[in-house]
Amino acid sequence: MHLTQKLELFPDQRVTQTLFKEVKNAAELRQSAVEGTISGALINPTMLVDPFQVMVAANKAVHFQKTGKMKTRSLYSEIIFNLSPTNNISEAFKRFGISDADDSVMIVVVHDKNETQLPQDIAAKVDGRQVPVEDVSSLSDPAKIKKLYKITPQEEKCGTLLDAVVCRMATKDVM
Amino acid sequence: MTVVIGFEGSANKIGIGIIRDGEVLSNPRRTYITPPGQGFMPSDTARHHRAVILTVLKEALDQAGLKPEDIDCVAYTKGPGMGAPLVTTALVARTVAQLWGKPLLGVNHCIGHIEMGRLITKANNPTVLYVSGGNTQVIAYSERRYRIFGETIDIAVGNCLDRFARVIKISNDPSPGYNIEQMAKKGSQYVELPYTVKGMDVSFSGILSYIEEAAHKMLSSGQCTAEDLCFSLQETLFSMLVEITERAMAHCGSQEVLIVGGVGCNLRLQEMMEVMCKERGAKLFATDERFCIDNGAMIAQAGWEMFRSGQVTQLEESWITQRLIPFYCVFFFHKHYNKAWK
Amino acid sequence: MVLNHSMAVPELLSKAELIKQGAEARVYRVQFLGKPAIVKERFPKRYRHPVLDEKLTHRRAVQEVRSILRCRRAGISAPVVYFVDYTSNCIFMEEILGSSTVRDYITSTQQSDSCQEQKLEQLAERIGQVLAKMHDEDVIHGDLTTSNVLLRHGQEDKVSDLVLIDFGLSYISALPEDKGVDLYVLEKAFLSTHPNTEALFQKLLKSYTLSSKKSSAVIKKLDEVRLRGRKRSMVG
Repeated sequence: MHLTQKLELFPDQRVTQTLFKEVKNAAELRQSAVEGTISGALINPTMLVDPFQVMVAANKAVHFQKTGKMKTRSLYSEIIFNLSPTNNISEAFKRFGISDADDSVMIVVVHDKNETQLPQDIAAKVDGRQVPVEDVSSLSDPAKIKKLYKITPQEEKCGTLLDAVVCRMATKDVM
Repeated sequence: MTVVIGFEGSANKIGIGIIRDGEVLSNPRRTYITPPGQGFMPSDTARHHRAVILTVLKEALDQAGLKPEDIDCVAYTKGPGMGAPLVTTALVARTVAQLWGKPLLGVNHCIGHIEMGRLITKANNPTVLYVSGGNTQVIAYSERRYRIFGETIDIAVGNCLDRFARVIKISNDPSPGYNIEQMAKKGSQYVELPYTVKGMDVSFSGILSYIEEAAHKMLSSGQCTAEDLCFSLQETLFSMLVEITERAMAHCGSQEVLIVGGVGCNLRLQEMMEVMCKERGAKLFATDERFCIDNGAMIAQAGWEMFRSGQVTQLEESWITQRLIPFYCVFFFHKHYNKAWK
Repeated sequence: MVLNHSMAVPELLSKAELIKQGAEARVYRVQFLGKPAIVKERFPKRYRHPVLDEKLTHRRAVQEVRSILRCRRAGISAPVVYFVDYTSNCIFMEEILGSSTVRDYITSTQQSDSCQEQKLEQLAERIGQVLAKMHDEDVIHGDLTTSNVLLRHGQEDKVSDLVLIDFGLSYISALPEDKGVDLYVLEKAFLSTHPNTEALFQKLLKSYTLSSKKSSAVIKKLDEVRLRGRKRSMVG
């Protein structure tokens, strides 16, 4: 049910996404993430259109980590920051991180290609029901996404919502 | 054997050359040089040409070891160029043609440059960069025709260099461009200047007004030297020229470059073009100041081609014109030399 | 290990399929995050001064992604940008599948026996509309040619879509002069690439004129720029 994909630019690295619904311990998970005892990014799935969106953020985070250009202090905070259309870090956490009352979470782990245990260990900490990652589209809130990314109606005529979101994420550094 | 004498006087050079079937027999030339800070005015230039043209004519015949009866055709520049000098040169050409009883041929100056470049370098099917005081064009072969792919949308590159030379009072002897080139060799600091490429076209007016405005300030504050400015100006202008030439080559799949026109003898421009060509696996053809700079032989050579294809200009049609539409000149050219150009 | 210049992109490209070697950029086809993608790599040009080269290469990569986003926001199709590496000046973007350049389309249509005039006229009109829209957004493309407009072929009954590419020389300007020069660049590229298309290009301009609110000033400038080329004295 989880999704593990490779990063073509970093062939030894894998990105695993795991999606949970009916989560009861969001506050505890968030606390662990803040303390750094969970090495993964905890993302609010209502802001996600598609797993590809996460991959774009993860690829950019790994690239910036390798080139020493990260804007935040860890790879996982960088993934959350990269999802945001703006360069405001606390805003990015507010919108794309999870909050204590949330009942769903997307967990993103970047790991070595031979590593299989790590994503499972993190998933074990979630008190909730794991669902297929592809189900993220049923959780997403298109109205909120369009508002946050400032997506115009005419833009949707020349592409999908995912296209519009990804394009903003990829180009925000020079806007 | 066909012997053609060519008269060129469209700008500040007066040159007379004699060509015999691809062989340059003579090519003497004089240049009207103005004091630093001054350009050449049409009437003064014409006066200069009038004063020396008969001496140059005598030199051309003497050096070639020919007499007027050995000449088959008299070619002259009919344009484009400055009115008064063109008229002066055409008048002498017309007169000798009648005195000697030889046919007359009006030649397009641009075609003279291209024909001469091809003759000297043996370039086969080149993309031509034509750069001089009045012209900046990239001409290439596409869809069975030679066409102007890129050009300046305002002033010519040579004009930009000449006017820069006037701003910082660089000598016009032997030419402002030559002196800028020598000074540039001593420059080292690169000063950023506006860089304007639009598709395959370039614009030089922005860079000129920028440098006109800023040069004195930069020099007096010691921010850079005059040599640095010459260096930076050349680097910027020539990068733009190489860029549009390469773009035209990529567009037409061409593997040869021919540089013609007065600015074409600048060795830094040739060097940059060479680097670009090497990277593309293409070949550069360039000539030196004898043939790049306006000269009589180039008019004789274009005239030779036209004469051999059966053309002559009737006396009553032997006008001159300051302007020739660039597109027109290429189509005109192609119509007659289709075979020679494949 | 932290490096200023990541070798990840050059390494990926060394194994990728090179599909076009242009004057300043190489274009590769790759799989990126599982999707078919195009990488446009602006490589250093050794003929120019290193400082100038660095500035131009970086500026053009930035201009390209900015203009793409600006066009897309206005509903003009342009490839989706997936990732930009400013250290190697590479742009990873969507591969426009099932498309051909307008250049190839016009050439093959002109060569086909049956009279296809109407098809080409419709295409010219649509190009005019797209460019009008782009100029109304103050995007100046800077290198308009028929190779830089793609035709994405739609399903059987659906009209195909025009996609603008190659924004490396683009910039933002509201000046009619800049828009006029943009059209002038296209006109020359169009007429020199496709013989006997003067009437077709007029159709394009007419549709541009009808579609843009600000077209009259632009067309006036276009006429001026055309004359500039011919009236310029050509001494020397």
